[in-house]
Amino acid sequence: MKILTMFALMTALATGAFAHSSVDNTTPENGATIAEVPSEISFNFGNDIRLTRVEMIHQDHPSVRLDLGDQTRFDRVFTLPLQGMGEGTYRIEWRGLGMDGHAMQGEFSFTVE
Amino acid sequence: MPDIWEIAAILAKLMLYIGITGSTGLVIIRTAFPKSVRPLNNRIKMQAAFLAGLALVAAVIGFMLRGAALTGGADGMTDPEMLDLLWQTPVGGALTFRLAGAALIMAGLFVPRVGHWISLAGGVLAMWSFAQIGHVPGLEQYGVRVLLLLHLLGIAFWIGILGPLRALSRGPEHLESAAHLGHQFGQAASVIVPVLILAGLLMAWLLLGDLTALATTGYGQTLLAKLVLVGVVLTLAAANKLRFVPAVQAGDAQAGRRLARSIEIETAVILVVLAATATLTSVLTLPN
Repeated sequence: MKILTMFALMTALATGAFAHSSVDNTTPENGATIAEVPSEISFNFGNDIRLTRVEMIHQDHPSVRLDLGDQTRFDRVFTLPLQGMGEGTYRIEWRGLGMDGHAMQGEFSFTVE
Repeated sequence: MPDIWEIAAILAKLMLYIGITGSTGLVIIRTAFPKSVRPLNNRIKMQAAFLAGLALVAAVIGFMLRGAALTGGADGMTDPEMLDLLWQTPVGGALTFRLAGAALIMAGLFVPRVGHWISLAGGVLAMWSFAQIGHVPGLEQYGVRVLLLLHLLGIAFWIGILGPLRALSRGPEHLESAAHLGHQFGQAASVIVPVLILAGLLMAWLLLGDLTALATTGYGQTLLAKLVLVGVVLTLAAANKLRFVPAVQAGDAQAGRRLARSIEIETAVILVVLAATATLTSVLTLPN
């Protein structure tokens, strides 16, 4: 029991998560407010990564998995088409793999008014 | 608070540590002190085979969990695209080392005469996998990888003694062997343990870079907790060496049971140290 308690304490300290996120910038920018729904979103990473999952969460709709198309190789820049869902806040959650085998994850959001 | 996948990754890594260091440790002890552990030969062989099997399973589960981290769900664990992707990174190389190493440890156990050398080679191979991926290879200094291997070999030696010494000290008919083994181990440990601690401290310093990170980051705090626990283990080990083992040598009938009890507590604390290490290496990012 003591071991379990210590283990629980130890894992409670763990805050960093798998994320070795190194996204330099995104379009739209994180936190941006824009007038129209963009037809595509893009990521610009500091190092080569292979995107594995990108999901869009719009406030009024269930999350949608974005199609990576043919962008299934290690790269720094990714541009994915986006299907607009009208006004509101969009949250984009992404996961990927670094060249060194590290899983990476992150998210950004923007608002359409 | 880590999510369920992170906890699963920590547990898989903990099992991997127990499997690899435990099985290799038993082989080291059997090779280094064959006479003292002769009464336990079959038992050691079965335990080492079980621990190598545990390492094998944990290595595969850990690999699959990395697949889950790529998709954010259980589907990633069996997604051929994700697993193939991982396989092409150094993670695939590390898995190969672990599987080949664990298989060699097992195979060596059943080969007469030269078998323990095959098992030892397997243990070193499996340990070398930890120098393939993670924070230490990220330092991009070859010497640090060798340091990590030394650190792991030292730990395996230490963990390897726990089971056999406890088993011998519990059996009144084996007390003489227990005293001899405890004494021999104590002598070797007085060289090996300082090397293992120094290697660990040096790696911690290189990884952390800055002492204030010990207090201000999750990585630093977990590392600090690990260091405190290592201090506890060292205290217990010192008590074994300076008090309990000499008492067993002197023929004190109760001393064997006290030594066994002390080893059990030491084992429990070592398990928590391994859990802290699994947390450091599985889910926490370096301060810088």
